[in-house]
Amino acid sequence: MWKEYSKSYIQNNRLSGLSVRIAAFISALLLSLLCGVFYNLWKYEVERIVLEEGGWQSRIAGSFSPEEIEAVRNFASVKDMVVRDGTGEGAASYGKQSYVEQGDGQESETVIDLYFDRYGAVLKDTPRIAELAGASPEQTAYHYGLLAMYLIRHPSDPAPRLLFPLFLLITGIASFSLIVIIHNSFVLSMNARIHQFGIFSSIGATPRQIRTCLLQEAAVLCAFPVVAGNLSGIAGSMGILELTNRILGGEVPGRHKAVFGYHPLVLGVTLFVTVLTIWISAWLPAGKLSRLTPLEAIKNTGELQLKRRKNSRILGLFFGMEGELAGNALKAQRKALRTASLSLVFSFMAFTMMECFVTTSDISTRETYFERYQDVWDIMVTVRDGDGAAFEEINEIRALPGVESVVAYQKAMAKRVIREEEISEEMKSFGGFSHASESVVTKVDGGWMVNAPLVILDDSSFLDYCEQIGIPPCLDGAVVRNLIRDVTDPDFRHVQNVPYLNTGSTGEGTVSILMRPGSEEMAEVPVLCYTAEVPLLREEYATLDYYQLVHFLPVSLWEKIRGQIGEGEGELYLRILGGENVTLEQLNGLQERIDSLLAGKYVTESENRIQEYELNGRQIQGMKLIFGGFCVLLALIGIGNVFSNTLGFVRQRKREFARYMSLGLTPENMGKMFRIEAMVLAGRPVLVTLPLAVVVMGLMLKMSYIAVGEFLAQAPFVPIAVFMAAILGFVALAYYLGWRNVRKISLAEVLRDDTML
Amino acid sequence: MLKIKDITKSYGNGESRFRVLQGISLEIKDGDFVVILGVSGSGKSTFLNVISGLERPDSGEVFYDGTDITLLSDNELTAFRKENVGFIFQQYYLLPNMDVDRNVKMGADLAGNKDYMEIIKAVGLGEKLHKYPSELSGGEQQRVSVARALAKKPRVLFLDEPTGALDEMTGREVLDYICRLKNQYGFTIVMVTHNLNIAEMAKTVIKMNSGKLINIYQNETQKTAYEIGW
Repeated sequence: MWKEYSKSYIQNNRLSGLSVRIAAFISALLLSLLCGVFYNLWKYEVERIVLEEGGWQSRIAGSFSPEEIEAVRNFASVKDMVVRDGTGEGAASYGKQSYVEQGDGQESETVIDLYFDRYGAVLKDTPRIAELAGASPEQTAYHYGLLAMYLIRHPSDPAPRLLFPLFLLITGIASFSLIVIIHNSFVLSMNARIHQFGIFSSIGATPRQIRTCLLQEAAVLCAFPVVAGNLSGIAGSMGILELTNRILGGEVPGRHKAVFGYHPLVLGVTLFVTVLTIWISAWLPAGKLSRLTPLEAIKNTGELQLKRRKNSRILGLFFGMEGELAGNALKAQRKALRTASLSLVFSFMAFTMMECFVTTSDISTRETYFERYQDVWDIMVTVRDGDGAAFEEINEIRALPGVESVVAYQKAMAKRVIREEEISEEMKSFGGFSHASESVVTKVDGGWMVNAPLVILDDSSFLDYCEQIGIPPCLDGAVVRNLIRDVTDPDFRHVQNVPYLNTGSTGEGTVSILMRPGSEEMAEVPVLCYTAEVPLLREEYATLDYYQLVHFLPVSLWEKIRGQIGEGEGELYLRILGGENVTLEQLNGLQERIDSLLAGKYVTESENRIQEYELNGRQIQGMKLIFGGFCVLLALIGIGNVFSNTLGFVRQRKREFARYMSLGLTPENMGKMFRIEAMVLAGRPVLVTLPLAVVVMGLMLKMSYIAVGEFLAQAPFVPIAVFMAAILGFVALAYYLGWRNVRKISLAEVLRDDTML
Repeated sequence: MLKIKDITKSYGNGESRFRVLQGISLEIKDGDFVVILGVSGSGKSTFLNVISGLERPDSGEVFYDGTDITLLSDNELTAFRKENVGFIFQQYYLLPNMDVDRNVKMGADLAGNKDYMEIIKAVGLGEKLHKYPSELSGGEQQRVSVARALAKKPRVLFLDEPTGALDEMTGREVLDYICRLKNQYGFTIVMVTHNLNIAEMAKTVIKMNSGKLINIYQNETQKTAYEIGW
């Protein structure tokens, strides 16, 4: 059947398979892209783990004699090993062909990192190796993260390793969605020939032969698109990786450059998933079609008919008779155009929602982050295990050219009891602590125990802060942020702050009794001032726990009380301002100088405001580009389906038009009918999306407390209009080309066609 | 021997249910030429479809040499049709993208018969092997469908108004070819028509009305396609 029928059918009806080809290409492209990106994500993660944690697969620790180490080295599945002492120094590599003597031969705490020939041997052989070396099971350790990347899961690994399940889930969803979409393209292509298969059936073709024939056709139609789609997907994933490197390259602290890679196995998996997806999409309608009885099939002329006549009143009202006929034609083609309708609606909806969401997010980030902190910081350096009291480099940083001010600060946590009489009237007006969760506020004898975060400033900065708030500079006390938000007002964007404590004028001369969390120990800290003004730091206060009472204190005072309060957080933060109108180049240079000044002595991470702002912008652009690309691909499926319809069903439309013409309609009427059909098809995504977008955005704006006017001022009208115009343009082109074929109508020819059936 | 016992068939549901065949029994001998006559709506086409295995009856039995085809599974019925019966319809149902040779070959291939060229020549289309259906007259197209049906070498040839779309001369020509081939190959013919004149060509004539057989008779002499009226 293939040789006699399908081959010539495909050769002579190239256009009718267009929709299938496009759908297959885009499916292959998407799945290949997904697999390619996932593989590189996996590869990058493996590289990151190896770089950050080492590539060892398991390790044993203990005291080992040279003989035991030699025995481990000679273990069959061990490819390589590294022997280190407990401090991590003095590592020596022990390959199969090398042996390095232990320094003094004395037994000491030694760690042996093991590298195996096969990952599959790690769990099985490590206990045996440990036993061989005289180590107990407790002295063995597994590199859970690395092993999980190779689908090897140790029973005691506590972490949820979600990369592969997530990939399977995403691939499954993508595959299922594609089946739904491509399936319709196959249905369309196959249904057009039900009548012909009825003829086959009447002359003896079995359902199996018909199904096989259809699947063979699908295979031939899809072979090139699948290969092309896969190659494009590989190129696309390479492009995404390159884009990621460009967007994030060197600007995200600790990130190494991702190098594109592609394993033959990935190609195999991609091809398998693609072929399976397409095969299921083709098999479903082929199976259904092959089960039709010869009479059912032979009576089906492939003509587009309405089961129940419903007049298209709205179109009729707007466009007259042509509108009504166009509406009827669209209803008759509903099944044939289902892929187009769904794809175009979903793509436009996804694109519109993405643009609106990104705009909202952009407004929010800009307001709550970049604009709020624009004059607060230029460079932030996080010094690991830094100690504010011992941090002498602050003066060197201050002396660097281009530095306007530097604040070094640490954070610590304490508790403080607030008595009933201390609560301000304003706070009482919204219920005091009645709304507070027990996890943040505890009722104690005589009051409420609240969290009192401590922000410990370097002495010089603290003195500047005293000047800023208008009190005499002094290092013997703390300044307390005396603000609490109206917890009954959920608007986080326009927070209504009121005084927290009833402190008279400034509260000067009082003391704050700070307690170590979870302990009875406490320290009395003189309060210099209760104020609403905070130092210029890139910090937000009381965002999650609204009842925090933030204390700012100098590091010299902290040194005196840290014994009672406990240690602070491990990080020391440096907030650096570089002066007005500073440029990115100037900040980059300054950042580099600060990094090199601290390098060697401290482990640091640094970022600068302008770079972060630009990076944020590029990340959003990258995300829009990738997500927008998916929307475009989805729209292409729909547009392909429209072309396939308008160019592939010429005979049916000619017959339909012949009937209308016999009633007196002119080709001009028919042209108008085509234009209305195109307009309705392209306009449907807009009609469906816009009301939905208005509702969703209304809710989103309400939830994020962004004013409608503010959103409208920055609403993404242009990209949405361009996307809409592109859909309209392509649909109009498809209908124009279809019209050109259909308009050359000859009643005699159409009648002759009828007898052919 | 084709033996039909008490066949019934209805369409529709509930109040709109319409009984098309109301208990028909009949025997058709091998090599017979049977014409089923009846007005439009008498159930003759449905009867043809049922006894040829294209449709299943609601009740009753259809035996081909002792095998009740109403009990066959879909696959078995398909195999039965492939091996035993050929169909010719009023519409020619040719595949427009295939020439004469390939239209006939398609039927022959499905039945595993490679010797189909003889049939094409027998219907007088030896010179038009590579013509497409759109390049043939109505009569020629119907002759292609005859050749395609016979290329399987069926035991029974079912014809549903084979001359319905043809003019007199072409109709006679097609019928003449069919009779000549019947004499040559010896298959059974069961033909549905509303043309009373064609009944004169048959050996057995069955008259139907309202889903019932109202008369069955044998012609003592059979006329040729050129001897009957039209």
